[in-house]
Amino acid sequence: MWLDRCPWYIAGPLLGMVIIGLRATVNKPLGALGGYIDVTEHVTRLSRLGFSAFLLAGIVSGGALFALTTGSSSPSPSYSGLLPSDPVLQLAILVVAGFAMGVGARSAGGCTSGHGLTGMSLGSPASIVAAMTFFGTAVALAHVWAWLAGAAS
Amino acid sequence: MKTKAIGLAGGVVFGFTLAWAHLTDPHVIRDMLLLKEPHVFLIMGSAVAIAAIGLRVLKLSNARCIVTGEPVDWTVEQPRTRHVAGSILFGIGWTVAGTCPGPLAAMIGEGRLVGVPVAVGLLAGVTLQGMLAARKSVEAHTPARATAGL
Repeated sequence: MWLDRCPWYIAGPLLGMVIIGLRATVNKPLGALGGYIDVTEHVTRLSRLGFSAFLLAGIVSGGALFALTTGSSSPSPSYSGLLPSDPVLQLAILVVAGFAMGVGARSAGGCTSGHGLTGMSLGSPASIVAAMTFFGTAVALAHVWAWLAGAAS
Repeated sequence: MKTKAIGLAGGVVFGFTLAWAHLTDPHVIRDMLLLKEPHVFLIMGSAVAIAAIGLRVLKLSNARCIVTGEPVDWTVEQPRTRHVAGSILFGIGWTVAGTCPGPLAAMIGEGRLVGVPVAVGLLAGVTLQGMLAARKSVEAHTPARATAGL
């Protein structure tokens, strides 16, 4: 159903318009990673939080707004079937995965939104290489994982 | 202040769209990586195509920012080792967690608190990498210590 899940031909153009809109109004890139960096660097002086942190706060609010409008908040276990069900093990895996993303994205200078959407649309060679690398790595790993899980069961 | 307000507004549209398109669901991301979910590639592809056209129109028309008044402009980077090495590590975390920094924030906003441990790890990783990079740049800018006695 249309309202349940936004079709790609609406979601894609909306994301494109956000990238154009931020550039046309304040000359800034769309990228989520910068918000996390901004938060860690200004956690003791919140008044100094800048554009990136506000963008991140907006993303959290946007998710909340969606849950409120649709009443479809699903706090159900989101990783059932993806990760081991043991809660402590799952928690540890998620923290480590987040840590890898943090170290990796900061050293690469961007994440899926910063490199994959914004940098790609700017035609930045570094972003194209970064996006090809993380997509290639993730697609390969997901396939190996699925194969191993299939072989084990 | 206006810049921050625009950031907040852009973030709201971004986060709402991510949640509405179900990109905040780790199962959708894992299926995309298993190439079973063309939807997500179509979203990213159309977003990049539309943004690429819009950004070029802005630049070619020498547009000035509506809010800040500065000329619309940007610089691009050449790929270096850190872009590849960092993205490999990022891709591993992305596959395991089934989410990345943007969808993660929207997911937590939706009330899926299972995203919180990922965010804790992400904040720690970002902090550590920031410290490592700062130390490296200090080393690069200080001359090597004289090796006395040799």
